[in-house]
Amino acid sequence: MSGEQFEGAGLRTRTGAGIRFEHVNVTYPNGYQGLRDVSLTIEPGEMVAVVGLSGAGKSTLVRTINGLVPITSGEITVGDVSDGGPADGAAAGATYRLSALRGAAQRRLRSEVGMVFQSFNLARRTTVLNNVLVGRLHHTPTWRSLLGAWRADDVELAMQALERVEIVQKAYSNASELSGGQQQRVAIARTLAQQPRVILADEPVASLDPPTSHVVMRDLQRINADLGITVVVNLHFLDLARRYGQRMIGLRAGEVVYDGPAADADESTLEEIYGRSLTAEDVLDAPPAVLE
Amino acid sequence: MSAVAAPGASAARLPGAGARPSRPRRWPARVVVLAVLVAITAWSWVAVDVDLAVIAHNFSNAQNTLVQLFQPDYSFFGETLQPLLETIQMAVIGTAVGCAVSLPLSFLASRATNPNGPLLGFVRTVMNVVRSIPDLLYASIFVTVVGTGALSGVLSLFLFNLGIMVKLISEALDGVDRGGQEAALASGATWLQADRAAMLPEVAPQYVSQTIYVLELNIRASTVIGLVGAGGLGMLIDRVRTFYQYHYLSLVILEILVLVLLLELLSSAVRKRLVR
Amino acid sequence: MSAAPTLVAPGRATTQDRPRKPANVTRKALWLVVVAVVVAAFWGVDISWGALWDMPGKLWHYLGLMFLPPAWSKLPDALSATMLSVAMAWFGTALGVVISFPLSLLATRGLAPVAVRWPLRAVFALLRAVPEVVIAVLMLSVTGLTAFTGALAIAIGSVGTLGKWGYEAFEAVDGGATEAATAAGASRAQVMRWGVWPNAAPEVLAFWLYRFEISVRASAILGLIGAGGIGKMLIDNIQFRVWDVVGILMIVVVVVTMLIDQISGTVRHRIITGRWEVPVVTALRRRSARAARLEASPSILEDDSRSGTVG
Ligand SMILES: Nc1ncnc2c1ncn2[C@@H]1O[C@H](COP(=O)(O)OP(=O)(O)O)[C@@H](O)[C@H]1O
Ligand SMILES: [Mg+2]
Repeated sequence: MSGEQFEGAGLRTRTGAGIRFEHVNVTYPNGYQGLRDVSLTIEPGEMVAVVGLSGAGKSTLVRTINGLVPITSGEITVGDVSDGGPADGAAAGATYRLSALRGAAQRRLRSEVGMVFQSFNLARRTTVLNNVLVGRLHHTPTWRSLLGAWRADDVELAMQALERVEIVQKAYSNASELSGGQQQRVAIARTLAQQPRVILADEPVASLDPPTSHVVMRDLQRINADLGITVVVNLHFLDLARRYGQRMIGLRAGEVVYDGPAADADESTLEEIYGRSLTAEDVLDAPPAVLE
Repeated sequence: MSAVAAPGASAARLPGAGARPSRPRRWPARVVVLAVLVAITAWSWVAVDVDLAVIAHNFSNAQNTLVQLFQPDYSFFGETLQPLLETIQMAVIGTAVGCAVSLPLSFLASRATNPNGPLLGFVRTVMNVVRSIPDLLYASIFVTVVGTGALSGVLSLFLFNLGIMVKLISEALDGVDRGGQEAALASGATWLQADRAAMLPEVAPQYVSQTIYVLELNIRASTVIGLVGAGGLGMLIDRVRTFYQYHYLSLVILEILVLVLLLELLSSAVRKRLVR
Repeated sequence: MSAAPTLVAPGRATTQDRPRKPANVTRKALWLVVVAVVVAAFWGVDISWGALWDMPGKLWHYLGLMFLPPAWSKLPDALSATMLSVAMAWFGTALGVVISFPLSLLATRGLAPVAVRWPLRAVFALLRAVPEVVIAVLMLSVTGLTAFTGALAIAIGSVGTLGKWGYEAFEAVDGGATEAATAAGASRAQVMRWGVWPNAAPEVLAFWLYRFEISVRASAILGLIGAGGIGKMLIDNIQFRVWDVVGILMIVVVVVTMLIDQISGTVRHRIITGRWEVPVVTALRRRSARAARLEASPSILEDDSRSGTVG
């Protein structure tokens, strides 16, 4: 562990991890098939937008990456996904195979994968700082977390994470006192405090107004660019996906129907993904005509 | 054909008016319910053996008692202080220990914080049993097992508190928004860590408020569990009563009244501030 | 070391002022007071805590005596004693209802003048402050304690709680219906009957039942100090240390209390919501309904608040 974890004031992140899906199927307990034979490779440091109608399987896809949704068959690899195994051992951290990951090993993977939720998922009655420190729980001994006796290093890291999303002034406010946009940035800071190699975002702006949505998306984009963290973000809005993603993955009924550069996706591709013509509801800022 | 039916013109109906609904027949059900209630009450009347004559007779023989009861002897106050203090001490200890122990148990007893089904079922069942045994019964048993005195009182209050607190707090946990917990689990925390970091803060205000409520209940309870020997004012009540010292008895009861009312005032003031 | 990216954005390093950790003096002071009170209580109380050491062993021993096995042969006696306790609770509650109902009307704002309301409310508060057991002790001194006087003690205690719940429920009734009745020229009694009662009735009925649940516990307790019923049987057997009978009595107390709570809770639910919801049956029905729903439309777990946009 010590090789991949950094301590002290000069807190650094680890390099981004790659993600590989190989013939992944997800069948929910009720028999509904959430993902069908998904195969794709996300390179370390990529920023990927996943689009699709509601119910297409976007949440299912990202939630398999940290094991919140177990896969039924196939394999997901998180870590070194370059062909022919690790090129030079020094480069990357651990590599995980999701199909057989349970218990402590699964928690270790989760500690390397941050997640941002649509509804922020903050503990509302405690401070912003305590919420960000949740990202450090994996590295905190149980007795410390029970007493709330956080390490000074972890508090420093949490503060830095809050500074990065420019909300450090609110560190000691209660999460419930923040606006929606501020809460989502606290949630992003929480993932940053994990020093993650991957950040998953499940419709992070669906509960926000348009200007705030752009702030949050830019935060994610900068984190990806500055820190080299791999970012996979589910988006309902096509203009956001095209604007902030480098690559776009289109899902329909649990299948990948598009995978290519986000900039190349034109209206017909999107209509193909959605299986219908686009409407004003599909974009955040303007009618579909603006897409062209 | 006139448009508006005049009183008395019963045959006249508005054109286009459909059939009138027939009056719903609710009365059979009501009669049955009423009959059952009357039957139960009659049965209970017979079972408790209502006999007003005997009561009246005893009552008229109790002139002396009544006079004493209405004339509390304040000179006895000094002797009540020690039991009064013991009552408060028992309540404070019982509340402190009971509420402390009930916190982890509440987390084990809520579906939201305990993913282990069998353990959840076990804890809930045990707590249901603990809750359905009255405090004075605990006290009677402990007095026989560990002897008379405050220890029996504290132990019975402790169990009494566990029952109430675990129910209230685990229900509060069931209703808490679980987003923070999901996020903590997704970041690699254990369930214990996630519950502590994300669920505990959400129920903390209710926990404090219920603790104060339980303290109030405990003061009330600890005044009476002494009747079976578990320390405090109750033991004093039992003593003065067996010696027919009713003017002392009325003083003790007066003290209980004042104590309970004071605490009720305090508790409702504090709880009102907590629940913002 | 310096080449690696830090969490802090370059150039923006620590230019933002971090807030100072709030001191929270009041909270600390409160904690101090609480801790001091608890420590003082532990310190001052006349308990030799050493006795706790062999508690677990003792407890185990006595539990063994009670339940390995309980005296099943006493079950019929235990049940008939329980019936007496339940009768006591029912009769006491019923009497309490009969007394408290008119009184709580007289304590309701808008139905009675202040001069009547406040004294009544004070009486309710007083009755609530006295534990039932103390009322019973007074009864014991004045009239002697029997099942009937025990029921009377319960009735007096019930008046305190039911009286308060009653006027609170009446006052919580939305003013609209009352106003409409008044505007139509109804008398005070008519306003009560057609404006207030229909709205408050379910809640008030549910309170009566809930009070019965409390009375069931109270009647067991009153038995312990001599009012008869299961409590009396318990205290006799505890005093003579007939532990296996105590065991069966405890089982009966627990089962009957839970059963009455369940039944009463189900009826209360029916009164408030107008639907029957029998615990076990409902759990089963809900499970099969969920399965059916999932078959029909797998998207009920959809967490997407924007699902309305699906074309
Ligand atoms: N826990 C679950 N059990 C059963 N079906 C589920 C579950 N979660 C999601 N689904 C179903 O899987 C499909 C894909 O869901 P999801 O991945 O949430 O879609 P999206 O995020 O694209 O809106 C939906 O039809 C949904 O109803
Ligand atoms: Mg979704």
